[in-house]
Amino acid sequence: MATVKLSNVQKVYDNGFVAVHDFNLEIKDKEFVVFVGPSGCGKSTTLRMIAGLEEISGGTIEIDGEVVNDLQPKDRNIAMVFQNYALYPHLTVFENMAFSLRLKHVDQETVYKKVTEAAEILGITDLLLRKPRALSGGQRQRVAIGRAMVRDSKVFLMDEPLSNLDAKLRNAMRAELILLRQKLNTTFVYVTHDQTEAMTLGDRIVIMKDGYIQQVGTPTEVFEDPKNLFVAEFIGAPKMNIMKANLVRNGNEYYSEVFGSKMPVDAGHCRKLIERGIDSREVLLGIRPEHVTICEGPAEDNFPCTIEVNEMMGSELHLHVDTEDGSRLIVRTPTVTLSPEQRNHLVFGEKLYITFHGKVTYFFDPETELNILS
Amino acid sequence: MNNKEINKTPKTKKHMGMTAKGRISNTIIYILLAVIIIIWVLPFFCIFLESFRCETQGMAGYVIPKKWGFDNYVRLFTETDFLRWYGNTLLIAVCTAILQTIIVLAMSYTLSRLRFKGRKLLMNVMLVLGMFPGFLTLIVLYKVLSGMGLTGPGAVPGLILVYCASSGMGYYVSKGYFDTIPKSLDEAARVDGATRFQIFKKLIMPLAKPIVIYTILTAFMAPWGDFIFARYISHAVSSGYNVAVGLWSMTERTSIGTSYTMFCAGGVLVAIPITILFMILQKYYVEGVTGGAVKG
Repeated sequence: MATVKLSNVQKVYDNGFVAVHDFNLEIKDKEFVVFVGPSGCGKSTTLRMIAGLEEISGGTIEIDGEVVNDLQPKDRNIAMVFQNYALYPHLTVFENMAFSLRLKHVDQETVYKKVTEAAEILGITDLLLRKPRALSGGQRQRVAIGRAMVRDSKVFLMDEPLSNLDAKLRNAMRAELILLRQKLNTTFVYVTHDQTEAMTLGDRIVIMKDGYIQQVGTPTEVFEDPKNLFVAEFIGAPKMNIMKANLVRNGNEYYSEVFGSKMPVDAGHCRKLIERGIDSREVLLGIRPEHVTICEGPAEDNFPCTIEVNEMMGSELHLHVDTEDGSRLIVRTPTVTLSPEQRNHLVFGEKLYITFHGKVTYFFDPETELNILS
Repeated sequence: MNNKEINKTPKTKKHMGMTAKGRISNTIIYILLAVIIIIWVLPFFCIFLESFRCETQGMAGYVIPKKWGFDNYVRLFTETDFLRWYGNTLLIAVCTAILQTIIVLAMSYTLSRLRFKGRKLLMNVMLVLGMFPGFLTLIVLYKVLSGMGLTGPGAVPGLILVYCASSGMGYYVSKGYFDTIPKSLDEAARVDGATRFQIFKKLIMPLAKPIVIYTILTAFMAPWGDFIFARYISHAVSSGYNVAVGLWSMTERTSIGTSYTMFCAGGVLVAIPITILFMILQKYYVEGVTGGAVKG
C-alpha cells in the first residue's frame, strides 16, 4: 500500500517566483503517474518536493496517509533515480547499490542477497565490481535503478531517467522500464519532458505548464480529449495543426469554414455543440496530422495547398504544406497506402488537396483556449 | 605540374616553416627556463655546499668547501636549542595542519552546499578581509595572547591559535573544488539515508582527496616557514622559537662570525620535510589547484 496525496502544494522561491501553484493530485497504490511538460513547468520541482529535496511553501504531501512535509528524504520511504544517475564515482557498482543498506547497518548476507537479486533482474551481475566510470550510459542507468530497487521503498521517483541516453537506447530502456514496473509492482512517479515516454509508460499523465496542472488523465484521455489548446499541441507527434475557422450552425447541423472550404462536423460533435447551446462563432480548429487526408481533386470539403517540406520517415511520410493564405500544416500519411506514382508526386512545390476527418476535429475557444467539446 | 601537386607544394612549405619557427622559439624558451632555474636554485645549492664546510665557521668568499664534514650539523644539535626549535615548529605545523584542514574543509563544504541567509555577504566580507595583510593585527594579537600567557615560553600554543584563527577565510580553492562535485550526489545520498556528516565523510572527502591534500600541505607550510608572527610572539625566549626565528638568531651581528655554516646546516634540515612532502604529494597538489578549473 503506498498512496501519495498532494493537496494545494505550492512552491515559492526566495525571489518570489512561484514554481508550482496549488497542485492537487491523488496517486493510487501501484499506479504509474507521469508528470510531463516543457522545461520550467514545475514538474521536477514537484517531484523533488515529494522526495523531500525541496521545501514545500504551502499545502501538504501525504505518503500512505502520513503527512511528510517536515520529514527528511530518508524518512519518507522513497527511492529516487536522478537524470544524471548520481552514482558515487569512488564506489564499485556493488557498493553503490549497497550504500543505503550499509547506512542502515544491514547484515552483510542480506546486503549481498538484495544487491545480487536486483543486479540479476537488471542484468548487471557481471558489472558489480566495476566503477561507474567504466560503464556505458545505459549500464549506469541500470545501476541507478538498481540502487533504488534494493531499498524496497514504497514509492519510486524518477526524474527524467532516460533523457541522457541516445534515442535508440532510450527506446530500449523504456521497454525495460515497463517490464521492471510489472516486476516491482509499486507506486511510480516519473518526470519527463518527452510526451512519447509519458504516453507509453504512464497509467495516468499529469500535463503541466508554468506551474499549473493543465490536465490529468490516462494516455487515451489526454490524447483523444485534450482539455485545452496546450495539451492538444503538447501531446502527439508531430503536433496538432491549429488554424482559425468559423463554426457555422445550420439548424441541428454544423460545418466549419476553413481556408474557403466547408468541412462537415461529425454528428456526435453536433449533439455536444447543441447541448452546450453553441451558435455560429469563431473557433480555433485543431486536427492531428494523421487525420488529414489527401484528396484526388478539388471539392467543396477540401482545399488546395503546396508541399514545402517532404520528410520520408520510412513507415510514414510527413508533409509540411502551405495553404493559400500562407498557413503551415503538417500531413502524416502511412507510406503503405501510397502508390509509387503518388509518392513521386508528393514532393516540394507540388499542389495537392486535403480534407479533415470530421470525427476527430477539435474546437477551441480563441480566448480561453479551452476545448469547446470537452 | 598537375592540380594535386600545386595544392600540395605550398602546404608542405608552410608546414616546414612553422616547424623551424617552433624549434627556434622552443630553444629560446628552454634557455630562458634554464637560466631562471640556475638563478633560483643557486642560493639553495650554495647553502647546501656551505653546510659541509669545516675549515671556517663564518662567511667566506667562496662556495665549495676546502674541508668537508658534518661538524656544522653536530654543532647545531650540541651548541644550540635547534632540536627544540625543530620540535616546536613540527608541533605547530602538524597541529595547524590538522585543525586548519578541518576548519577550511568544513567551511568550504558549508558555503558550497548549504544555503542560508547572509551566505553571500559572509563570503564577500571574508574576501575583503582576506585582502588585508595578517600583520595588521600583530600588536593586538600580541596583547591578547600575552594576557592569556601564550607568548614567550608559551608561544607554541599561542602560534597554533594564531594560525588557525582566521583559516576559515581561505575557503576559496576548496569551495571551488566542492562546487564541481555534482549536488545530485548529495541528494542521492540523502535519499539513501545519509546525514549531512555522513555525506561529507563518506562521499565528499573521498572525492575531494586532491583538495584535502592541497589544504593539508598549505596549512603545514605556512607555520613551517613563518618568521614574523613567530618572532614577535616568542620575542626573546629561545624555548618558544620556531626554526625560522632560531636560525635568524644565528645570523645576528654578534654570532654570524661563528654560526654562519651552522645556519646553512639548519637551513638544509628545515628544507628536508617540505621537500619530501612535496615530492610525494605533488600529483595531488596540482590536481587540487587545477581541479576546479578543468572540471568547471
